This record gives sequence, C-alpha cells and structure tokens, in this order.
Amino acid sequence: MAPPERSAQSMQDPTRAAVVLDENTVRSALERHLRRELGSAVNIDGFERKSSGFSWITYSFVTSTTAGTSRRLILRVGPPNGLFAPYSVLPQVYALQSLSGTRVPVPGLVSFDQGGSELGCPFFVCEHVEGDVPVPWAGSKLDEGHRRDIAGQFIAILGELHRLDFRGTQLASLHGGAEERDEVRAIAGWRASLARPTARYYPLLDWGGRWLLDNCPLPPRRTIVHGDYRIGNFLEREKRITAILDWELVHLGDPHEDLAWALVPTFNGRSKKLYGVLEREEVVDCYQRASGVQISAKSLAYYEAFALYQAAAIQMRAVRAFEVDNFNDMRMAVMASQMASIVRAFDRALEAAA
Amino acid sequence: MSASFDRLIDGMIEALRSHVLPRSGDEFVRGQIFSTIFALNGLKLTADWKAGPLLEQVRVQDAALAEVGRLAGSMEHPPIPTLPRTEGAAADSAAVEALRDDGDRILGELLFWASNEGARAANPAIAREIELFLRRSICEQLKVELAMTPKSMLHQIATGEEGA
Repeated sequence: MAPPERSAQSMQDPTRAAVVLDENTVRSALERHLRRELGSAVNIDGFERKSSGFSWITYSFVTSTTAGTSRRLILRVGPPNGLFAPYSVLPQVYALQSLSGTRVPVPGLVSFDQGGSELGCPFFVCEHVEGDVPVPWAGSKLDEGHRRDIAGQFIAILGELHRLDFRGTQLASLHGGAEERDEVRAIAGWRASLARPTARYYPLLDWGGRWLLDNCPLPPRRTIVHGDYRIGNFLEREKRITAILDWELVHLGDPHEDLAWALVPTFNGRSKKLYGVLEREEVVDCYQRASGVQISAKSLAYYEAFALYQAAAIQMRAVRAFEVDNFNDMRMAVMASQMASIVRAFDRALEAAA
Repeated sequence: MSASFDRLIDGMIEALRSHVLPRSGDEFVRGQIFSTIFALNGLKLTADWKAGPLLEQVRVQDAALAEVGRLAGSMEHPPIPTLPRTEGAAADSAAVEALRDDGDRILGELLFWASNEGARAANPAIAREIELFLRRSICEQLKVELAMTPKSMLHQIATGEEGA
C-alpha cells in the first residue's frame, strides 16, 4: 500500500476497526459481495486467516456454487487503522489486471471493493496460487543450489517487469501530473509520511530526505516499480516462483529502486548476497541481461540510501499506528526498535551516494 | 520502540487481554497472564524510562551544540540555547526526554542551515565542516540508543516461530 500522499483516499471509517477484525463479520460481508459479483448464491468453506502480515490482512477460503463448481480464493483486507491506513485497493488491482498474461506471474484478480461498502474498508479477492513464502529475516534452511535457482528467477522476473510498457495499462493511471517526476513523487510520499507528528524527530532522516529529493537521479527509463520487491514477497513451489505478491506499493519510477530494495541485507538473512547466495555483481549482470537496463553504480548507491530511508519511514509509521491511532498490535510498538541502527546505516549510505 | 512508556504498558496489557487470554484455557496459564497484567499495571504506576541514557544523549547534544557555536564564529546561524541545558533542570525522565527531543530539533535546524546556500556562500569550508561534524555527532548520539537496543527478534515477530 502506498503512503496516503500517493494513493487514492478510500472511504474508511476508523470506528469499524474492531468489526473488520471479527472473522464472522468479514465472512458475512464476503458472502454478500461474492453473491452480488458472481450473480448466484455462494457457499464459503474453510475460511481462515492466512498469515499475520503487518499491513493487509489475508484470508483463504473455498467458494462453491449451486452449480457445483468450487474455487480456492484469497481475500485481502486493508484495515482502517493498519500500518498504511487509509488504504486504497487500486494500486494492487491495477497491478494484477495489468500483469495478467505477462511473464510476471501474479494471482488472477476475481473482484474488489474500493469504496468499502460491505466492510467499511477496501478489499479484493484473487485466485489462490500454490506455493510457499520464503522467510527473509533469517538464514534459509534451503540448500544453496535451490536458493540460487530461485534468486536467478527472482531477478529475471524483475527484469521482465521493468521491460513492460505500462502505457495503455491500468498502471499508467498511477502517473502524477504531466510535469511531475514519478520517482520524485515516491520520495516525497515517504517524506510527508515522516513529517506527520509522531513520537520522535530524527534530524538525519529529515535532512537526508531533503537530500534525496534534491538529488534524485533521472531514471534510465521510467518503469513499473513493485516497491517492495524482496525475498518473502513471492510464492515458490518445486523450485519455481509461482507468483509475485504484495503489490501495495507499486508505482512508476526508476528501476534501480526495486533492485536496491531487493539487496537490503535485512531481507537476505543479514547477508549482502541476494538470498544469501548471489553476489551483487552477479545480480547486476543477471538483471541487466533480463531487463535491458544498464545499471548505474551511482543510481544504485542512491537507491540503497533511499531503501534505508523507506525502511525507517515504514517503521515510524508502525509506531504512529500504535501510539497515535491506537492500533493495538504489539508488533507495531516494537517495530521501530532498530531505528538507531537504520539511521546510522542511512547516513553511511548517503555518504556513499553523494 | 514506542516512545511512550505508559502507552507501551497499555499495549502489552491489551495484547494479553485481547489475543492471549481468549486462547488460553489452562487455569494455571490464565493465572500467569493475570499476574503479568497485574505486574505491568504496577510498573505503570512506579516506573519510567531510565534517565541515565537520556541524560547521556543530552550531554552528547550539548557538546555538539557548543562545538558548532565555536566553529560558526561570527556566521549567522539558528539560535543555540544556553549550555549545559540540564543545569537546574528537573531530573525526571519525562523532562530529560523532552530536552533530548528539543535537542534533536535544534541539531536538525543547524544541519539544514550548514548545508544551505546562505551558509555555503558565507564560508563554504566551515559550513561543510559543521555539516560533517553534526552528522558524526548525531551518529554518536545514536550509539547511546544502540546500547539500549535489544537484539532484533524480527524473524520471531514476523513468523511467530522461535529463532532460526
């Protein structure tokens, strides 16, 4: 989900937060929605919360109709007081619509409700895709050969994403004004997010954010940017990536942004190698072949600083959700516990990028 | 970490009441949870953040402010408060925390000033020296926070599994 500064405002009612988290209410609303969308009575079975994600809430379920057909589906709900509230479902919907049938594997979109008429907050339904989500925070137990296979596919798919011509697709609507640079807009969004009143002011983040705005390089070409492209945001099955997930931060911008984010050590078991196996040089070579984009060392350094800035902004949003919006999730309260190390790393990254 | 001690305690109690208690059917386990809630309520009434590390951060900030004043000499710069700021100040944590937060804002203003056109036009070498000094000093202050930061449990928090 994009920060509110760069996403459509939804019609959410914060007082319905508790209602949204009640599974029976969610299920009833889903039944009404699917009945209307599919035009026939629908039974929902095996309804369960799928994961404990930090932002969108995910449920899996099976629908069956009177005609005897059944489908396994996924529901994703943007809670009114979640990490990036207020949510818009549109960036993810546009991504799933625009990428369907391309070489970037995504779940098929079934339906969506941006207005929140059923639940009080936006949600969408998509096809279930078989596969497991790798855990990015700790060293993987998978063998090195397996991880090399996956890391290679992961970069090749990123190259395919950045090759796509977004003009003429729904994603083109994410473009700002005619004169506005989309990559600068992405930075300004996080900067506005950090400027919101919260518990702590970090002078280096404020100053460094200004530096990022003033020194944003021109992209080699403007592409679709996933915005959270990392180990842990895809499904894999039998050594094949079956779907790229979590398109909430998708936007238009500089392809270096996705590559730099994927290389953040936090998402690679604290390793500087992608998935703990692919050296940075290998990643760049593989990516350049797949995308046709010539990587600039200076732009990559810039976006590595930006990645840390974004990570800091996300953590501060979590604290704000807990302290200001009273979102009672202790994971939000402790998320910013690594701020000191992130801000120090950000300062070093700025020095490298200058 | 949440900056508000009281809000953190309230959040812990709410997490135990809303998420842990409803899934705990064992009488002994429920007794443990209620005892923990009682202890947390006690902490809220009697405890606060440690003042020592906050005072250390204010001391690092004051040293930086003094040095910036010296380096800037006759250059026009944002105001620097009378130092040391803790002299005569109340010793309670909330007051020291407010001083620390105020110091961060002053350092931010000085950092923006040192890197803006005006300061660079007045004395580019000194302006650059102040900018680099301030960045180093702010990182020194962050070291004090790092010393108080527990080892990351991101994996456990994100997955709900014991350490890998």
